[in-house]
Amino acid sequence: MSAFLFRLRGLALLALLAACQGGTDAPTLQLQVIDAARESITAKLAPKSERPPVTRAVLDTLDGAFLEITREREDLTAFLFPTPVRGAGTADEIIVWRTETDETVTLRGGVLIATRGLGGDVLSSEVQLRPGGLGPASGQRVLHVADKDNKQLTLPLACDVVDRGPARIEIIGWSLPTHHVQERCEGGGGTVVNDYWVDAGNGLVWQSRQWAGPHIGYLRLRQVTR
Amino acid sequence: MFLHVFLHVFFPVRIHMRPRLLLRPAGAGLVALALSSGAVAAEDRPVSAAEPLLVPMPPPSLNFYGSPGVIDMPSAKMLPDGQFTTGISTFGGQTRYNLTFQATPWMSASFRYNSIQDWNMGGFGTYYDRSFDVRFRLMKEGQYRPELTLGLQDFVGTGIYAGEYIVATKTFATPSWGARAGQDGQLSLTAGIGWGRLGSYGSIGSSGARPPYDPDSEGGEPAYDQWFRGPYAPFAGIEWRPNEKLGLKLEYSSDDYVTETQTTDVFDRKSPFNFGIEYQVSPRTRLGAYYMYGSELGVNLQVQLNPKSPPTRMHIKAPQAVPVRPSRSANPAVWNTGWAASESVKLQLRDLLDPELRADGLVLESLTVNADTAELRFRNLRYMSYANAVGRAARVLSRIMPASVETFRLVPLSGGMALSATTVRRSDLEALEFDGNATDGLLAVTAFSDAPAQAASAIPAGDLYPDTSWSLSPYFSPSYFDPDRPFRIDVGVALRGSYRPAPGWIVSGSIRQRIAGNVKDGPPSNSRLPHVRTDQVEYAQYDTTLNNLFVAKQWRPGRNLYARATVGYLETMYGGLSGEVLWKPVSSPLALGVEANYVKKRDFDQLFGFQDYDVFTGHATAYYEFGGGFMGQVGVGRYLAGDVGATVSLERRFDNGWVVGAFATKTNVSAEEFGEGSFDKGIMFRIPIGWFLGKPSRQAFGTTIRPVQRDGGQMVHVPGRLYGQVRTAHRAALQGQWARVWE
Repeated sequence: MSAFLFRLRGLALLALLAACQGGTDAPTLQLQVIDAARESITAKLAPKSERPPVTRAVLDTLDGAFLEITREREDLTAFLFPTPVRGAGTADEIIVWRTETDETVTLRGGVLIATRGLGGDVLSSEVQLRPGGLGPASGQRVLHVADKDNKQLTLPLACDVVDRGPARIEIIGWSLPTHHVQERCEGGGGTVVNDYWVDAGNGLVWQSRQWAGPHIGYLRLRQVTR
Repeated sequence: MFLHVFLHVFFPVRIHMRPRLLLRPAGAGLVALALSSGAVAAEDRPVSAAEPLLVPMPPPSLNFYGSPGVIDMPSAKMLPDGQFTTGISTFGGQTRYNLTFQATPWMSASFRYNSIQDWNMGGFGTYYDRSFDVRFRLMKEGQYRPELTLGLQDFVGTGIYAGEYIVATKTFATPSWGARAGQDGQLSLTAGIGWGRLGSYGSIGSSGARPPYDPDSEGGEPAYDQWFRGPYAPFAGIEWRPNEKLGLKLEYSSDDYVTETQTTDVFDRKSPFNFGIEYQVSPRTRLGAYYMYGSELGVNLQVQLNPKSPPTRMHIKAPQAVPVRPSRSANPAVWNTGWAASESVKLQLRDLLDPELRADGLVLESLTVNADTAELRFRNLRYMSYANAVGRAARVLSRIMPASVETFRLVPLSGGMALSATTVRRSDLEALEFDGNATDGLLAVTAFSDAPAQAASAIPAGDLYPDTSWSLSPYFSPSYFDPDRPFRIDVGVALRGSYRPAPGWIVSGSIRQRIAGNVKDGPPSNSRLPHVRTDQVEYAQYDTTLNNLFVAKQWRPGRNLYARATVGYLETMYGGLSGEVLWKPVSSPLALGVEANYVKKRDFDQLFGFQDYDVFTGHATAYYEFGGGFMGQVGVGRYLAGDVGATVSLERRFDNGWVVGAFATKTNVSAEEFGEGSFDKGIMFRIPIGWFLGKPSRQAFGTTIRPVQRDGGQMVHVPGRLYGQVRTAHRAALQGQWARVWE
């Protein structure tokens, strides 16, 4: 029995040590599985890194705009940096916000239109903006979501937008006068409520809570630096 | 009507429609996760609204034969389309390993391996057997009508489990108990009539004469002469699922277990009633405990997967956006085409592309570029879906090509062969990337065609050739269904190497060092045919083996044509020459191929020597994609034992790379010469590892399972057969997976 165990242990060790490769070809199946197992073990063993509290003083040292995004289901937060990609300077400017680990959230005039790298992503969305870029307009909105077996799921939502009036919000030491715009959508057997806190002056969406499809759920977004 | 009244008396039920929508609201649980952020007042938050969720309905539970059912009896329910289930059930010394595939919404097929202890007949202490079932839905459940299903159990040969049935099941919503808010309980009533094994207890009539079970038959042939013959008997069952976890079952079995309890003494059957309780341990696993036939305890482990629903959702690193070129009027200098006359600029462009493509898991093979068109030929190392690879390649071109290059032609290569050409306009990429329906929008303006011959002006990759790769990794080599030990496996390490001196050429080899295993202890061949496949035990006697070593050349002899020539040690048992030509237009569902091989049987030690057996073997094969992922294949030709015949196979290929299929080969070898099973047949499956890992990968694992390995109808395993390389980059596959193009 012990000889068998010894052999077994030797085997496991060998399997891990013996896995290596070189050259152009993609790693073999066994290597990819072993690598994934290694990564997952390393990630589990790694000490949880506590993010230092973000203060306005820390944020003031940063150059450029940052967007803080929290995935509500997983309670994961990340800071994203922007790449303006279309219509720079206009009210419906499209900005791709990217994490350090190559996940992106794409906003048009502050309204989420796509995600990538999150899994079950929003591939694209059909949404009208209010003139002057004060969040989305009432009407039909269609989400195209990456779904089962490399297919695109189309999710039409009927949305109503109401201006809930002025609201003063707090973003890490900033106090900002905004308008709270709420979008209520029915469709797909459920209800989606998106909230936007829009700068009364320049139409910028400082903070929002938006639904990114059935796989990702709600995201909370707030721009923490200018 | 009577049933309805009956139910209202005993269960406060209402008629339940079948699951209406895939999309349905969840309970309030998810809303509770909404955390407050910043200084937003609580009253601004949505409190009662439930977001749309894609929650699949819990699948039907399985019986002891691995099909939807009560306990030992079947029900009429069908599994969700594409469902792949596996499991083990055991009671009274009888263990069944079941595999079921719901091939279409109305048809499922099962394969089973079973053992019966204390058999003590025909020279077996423990009896092992394999069996196939099929089930067809005759009528879908409606508001008032039940689901109706016809099943053939162990329908090939005079099987031990042979039985046929027609069964009806109706489901009703009931009050729930401990379920998620808003979720009903579910009651299923099943009643049916069975023949064969399922007509052996409490029969109420008989239809014709049924031949008795013959343990000496070679089996293997569909037993038309016994279906729905002999005594028939009713059976019935009830299942109540008060919530998504729990299930209670009660059934009346019409199986008398005649052979097991009367001919021999496997267990005591004291009652026709069986009772069970089941619990959903995880979304894919259900465990049940039962009290069976008044004397035995039983256990049933049920595992259900759906190829469409990966355990880990695919995460692909976000791509770089497609940059928009400045308008020609605003910046005419950028649109200048003078660069196109300069070879050195083109070389620079190639050198800029190369690292960007590598970062996306693609390898540049060549670039042909002029003032307005760029053709990129590349290898896809990373993405199972060529739509994904083509999309990434187009993005890279859009970042690097001068503004005047408006047309992108993307040509994926496999082993030097250009597989297809996807042509997109750069301005469409720019305009559609953030469009409301970017996926369909781009598909409408994309063209798929046969890849043209490479232009003379193509700039090859800088320092790609000679291209060498190697790897050292573990291997696992299983062997199934030896009567003494149904599963054997060898494990060890494999050193693989490949050398590509020029595009299209490859020298490849693999050496294995076994570390442990028991395949070598299997039984010797008893085949009356030349031992073309049944000497696997002889081949398993050696620890260090040359698994393969060959030279291959692939090329495109003409429009829609693909060709391969291979020479060397092709596989563990055979070496020789192999040539193949395939005709497959990019947009055609039909492909035709011809393959011819001259092979010699290798020495058992799998080094460089050969045995004194050689054969010309080859096939003409037609491949057809029926749509919906179904693919059929018919091949006729000469097999390894010199036998002549045809192979038919049917596969369901999912867009994510899952394949489940079945095949059968009939040759001019008689059932007696062939031996057990009468003719060659089996099932195969292939699971992409990206499905498990949630990361893009082209690797997949799988296996072919034959109920019994014999020598008739066997083919040589040639590395790099053409159809598999070609199909995945053709129009049907690209369109089917187009949702990945912008990922």
